[in-house]
Amino acid sequence: MYAINWDVWLPLCILASSLLPGLLIFFLPEERVVMRTLLNLGGASLKLVLVGILIWGVFNGHHYEFRFSLLPGLDLVLRADALSLLFVALSAVLWLITTVYAIGYLEGSPHRSRFFGFFSLCVTATVGVALAGNLMTFLLFFEMLTLVTYPLIVHRGTQEARRAGRIYLAYTVAGGTSLLVGTVWLYGLAGSLEFTSQGFVADLVTGHRVELVIIFVLLIAGVGVKAALLPLHGWLPQAMVAAAPVSALLHAVAVVKAGAFGIVRVVYDVYGIDFAVSLGVALPLAILAAVTILYGSVRALFQDDLKRRLAFSTVSQVSYIVLGTAIVGPVAAVGGLVHLVHQGVMKITLFFCAGNLAETLGVHKISEMDGVGRRMPWTMAAFTIGAFGMIGAPPMAGFISKWYLGLGALEAGQGWVVPVLVGSSLLNAAYFLPVLYRAWFKVPAASWPAERSFGRVETSLALLLPPLITAFLSLLLGLLASAPFSPLQWVRFIITLEYVP
Amino acid sequence: MNSALTLPSLLLIPVLPLLLAIALMLPPLRRFALWFAPWAALPALVVSLLMVPGVSVELPWLLFGSYLGFDETAGVFLFFTALLWLVAGVYSTGYFSESCSRAWFLSWFLLAMAGNLGLIVAQDMVLFYTFFTLMSFASYGLVIFQRTPEALRAGRIYIILAVLGEVMLFAALVLAARAAGSIEFVAVQSALAEAALRDWIIGLMLLGFGIKAGVIGLHVWLPLAHPVAPTPASAVLSGAMISAGLLGWLRVLPLGELALPGWGGVVLAAGLLAIFYAAFVGLLQRDAKTVLAYSSISTMGVMTAALGLGFIAPENWPLILAAILVYALQHGLAKAALFLGVDMVTAAPVSKWQRYLLIAGLLLPALSLAGAPMTSGMIAKYLLHVQAASVASFWAGWLQVLLPWSSVATCLLMARFLYLVWPRQRAGSVVVVKTRMMWLSWTVLFMVVVLSPGFLPFSAAEGLWLPEKLAGALWPVVFAGGLAAVIYWLAKHGKWPFHFRIASGDILLPVERVLWPVLHAMMLRSYRTLFKRRFLLSIYRRVGQCYSGLVFLLEAGENGFRRWAVGASLFLVLVMIFMFLAWQIIF
Repeated sequence: MYAINWDVWLPLCILASSLLPGLLIFFLPEERVVMRTLLNLGGASLKLVLVGILIWGVFNGHHYEFRFSLLPGLDLVLRADALSLLFVALSAVLWLITTVYAIGYLEGSPHRSRFFGFFSLCVTATVGVALAGNLMTFLLFFEMLTLVTYPLIVHRGTQEARRAGRIYLAYTVAGGTSLLVGTVWLYGLAGSLEFTSQGFVADLVTGHRVELVIIFVLLIAGVGVKAALLPLHGWLPQAMVAAAPVSALLHAVAVVKAGAFGIVRVVYDVYGIDFAVSLGVALPLAILAAVTILYGSVRALFQDDLKRRLAFSTVSQVSYIVLGTAIVGPVAAVGGLVHLVHQGVMKITLFFCAGNLAETLGVHKISEMDGVGRRMPWTMAAFTIGAFGMIGAPPMAGFISKWYLGLGALEAGQGWVVPVLVGSSLLNAAYFLPVLYRAWFKVPAASWPAERSFGRVETSLALLLPPLITAFLSLLLGLLASAPFSPLQWVRFIITLEYVP
Repeated sequence: MNSALTLPSLLLIPVLPLLLAIALMLPPLRRFALWFAPWAALPALVVSLLMVPGVSVELPWLLFGSYLGFDETAGVFLFFTALLWLVAGVYSTGYFSESCSRAWFLSWFLLAMAGNLGLIVAQDMVLFYTFFTLMSFASYGLVIFQRTPEALRAGRIYIILAVLGEVMLFAALVLAARAAGSIEFVAVQSALAEAALRDWIIGLMLLGFGIKAGVIGLHVWLPLAHPVAPTPASAVLSGAMISAGLLGWLRVLPLGELALPGWGGVVLAAGLLAIFYAAFVGLLQRDAKTVLAYSSISTMGVMTAALGLGFIAPENWPLILAAILVYALQHGLAKAALFLGVDMVTAAPVSKWQRYLLIAGLLLPALSLAGAPMTSGMIAKYLLHVQAASVASFWAGWLQVLLPWSSVATCLLMARFLYLVWPRQRAGSVVVVKTRMMWLSWTVLFMVVVLSPGFLPFSAAEGLWLPEKLAGALWPVVFAGGLAAVIYWLAKHGKWPFHFRIASGDILLPVERVLWPVLHAMMLRSYRTLFKRRFLLSIYRRVGQCYSGLVFLLEAGENGFRRWAVGASLFLVLVMIFMFLAWQIIF
């Protein structure tokens, strides 16, 4: 008997914990609800446990790496470094919560096996993106993510959904191509694609500065499509026609986050922050992020559809991550990276709540939300916490990110970022506070557009508990930001690795 | 107090109201929480009386690592703040007869209370800011509680200014944290003296906290919001929460570290302007609570001026701080007593002694605010006057001259207030349930106001009760009282020709004419139409209307003055007296 080397197999198990249930679910008949639920929740829980073991292992000095040679010189690498753990942990936790929510949300609707199959694959791809140890593997899972998300977006099969799906594909496939070209070109120059902290390009490539700038643009454009950077954000507000759990996953965990995570990887572990600065690409990226932050918020102001408003808010908030990465300095980097987690938790809360309003009352528009706080106090309480987090009011998680971004920008001598943050806070207040006002203080209309009764509770528990948990988390992550093992502490640890000479 | 008890007792101050607020929102716990909610400020009051100043505790897990502590400044603020919240809480049990609306009111009330009490014991910027934010947003619920159109308008103005204040503070605090490399108040105050972006930080702090403190120009929300809130909320808004902005300044600004004559001049001048401008506008109000709100702006002007003095003369700062603390304390107590008194009048004084108590209860806090002899207001004014006299500078000279006249202004305001609030006919139909609790809390507050000169432990106050000093405090009151009597007599006989009026919110009115249509259009239309020609034209027209409105207002004012030659000349005489005295002092 060989002793199984867990240091090699654990990353693969983490992938398999959602891949296998996903594949099995495809073959389940529609009416096998219990079996499907078991597979879904079992896989999600197992993944959470495995990720817990992984974190514990990394903390105790284990080095987890799975390597499989695709072509000579091109390996499929799954590796657990500090940065990937952050994203893996985020997606494992939020996937479990979203699964519970999705089960409650889709109860009784058609094609659930298809939905949950792709749902699991989507998370598999996300975890793959997180664990990818080189650009090649990253690209592979990134493309897989594009493909498995499409069926989720068009799941309802309405004309609008299909149109959103087409737009989504057009954007992301173009982005994928750009990423592919960049990757191949870079491989030609460097001969390796292995992620290393502080970047491999500077060590392996001499000269070729113009090519490297072009490759940087190609790579950033490729991942920037998913991160909804300014000119490439058009698909995201369209994609909000998808079901609420999909939007939640899309905006908080999978697609948008994969894009933002990709930008972090490219800047830190491919180019290295110092080299990116010497190429002169960091500042333009920071400015692009700042413009996106303000633009997204301005657009959000004018949306009456709640989910559309949230979608534009995502465009704005995800660029915080990019901004933090592109401002050159460890403190700002902490702010950006920790927002990867904070934005995820807060935005998923908001989308859950929007879904609850739609499912329970048929409320889709902000103008229909008058007095909804009286009918659904718990949901709106969660929404309120999420909204204040987005505004960046203390002690919510969003404040922690904003504080570090501001402090880091000043430390890096880029004071212009502070007015951007202030403006963004103001705009966030301008588009969230009126919603809260309507919900809590206005008198409700005589009847809701399409109300369903759930007895004594305001909506089904499977719909209610997930936003309550994530809202509690968004409060806790801010309030106890300095507790050991908080995301903030973990991110500080990551940044010491990226910035230590 | 035992040191092992320090952390729990400091934590309890904000956590207890917070927990009770949450319990009030949960239907199963509501009945239980309603019992305890009015008393939520009691631990804070006990701590303020028993704890020995000079303790600080670290909470390493909270936010970025936070500090709770208790020093002399916190002691004074905590005492009057906790007392006001306690009194207002107990008062509210009588004010709201219906338990449902009481529960709603108390949940907002407790959240704001948690913020207000918490920020006093916070010893770092981030924790302070957190509590400040909680207080700011929770008081919105108090402002719009009545849901009348006026309340909703006040709420809109309030929330816009509050959010502006929040973001300005965010920028200021980040800049300060960067400059100091720390978020602890002690470190920040000394580091700010050296900071490269010092002027930015100071300016943003002054504006950000100034919105709460009702600094002139940013004061517009106060006269709108304080009168429309339920009375117990008005009392804490005007007595306690307004001082939170002041405390913010005291905590973060580099006072006593270095001389900043430029800032000192600006702040002092703004304070002086506030004293007399707010008094002038307040005199033209027809609602008793609005008059009180303007009086708050006027009094905050005195404290702002004292702050400016601190910038000019850092070596005098400890004594100026003492003066400010006494001022904040006496203003808070007296103002809250007056706000509650507005209600007590309508609560139909039945017996004879109740009626006497009512007269005394309205008159004494009013006299205390005006700095009449034998009141804590006089001590505060005296302390400040001594400091102003000991600083040789242009603006300090003005402060010294104008300080007695601020008493005249306050006194006139109080006369106006008493005139407005006094029941014209025997009220009898108004029956308030549980008036006993209202009487109890109001009487307690009144007793504290009356007795406060006795327990103020300031050595500078020794020898204060000498006849010549009493006379110095007496003449403004007598002068203003006489003036008020003359005006009353004139008005009663129809010989008062002046009917000029400025609506509450004063300088806000022209702004609103542009603001609302623009905001409304923005909310209704897509952003594309915002840049279309028609829309831009409509905004242009709005601005034009606003301009012509302003011209109209000025002309109306002009006419009013022309018609009212006698009254206006009285005001001008006052101004000329100031000028003359100032001339003598400075040159």
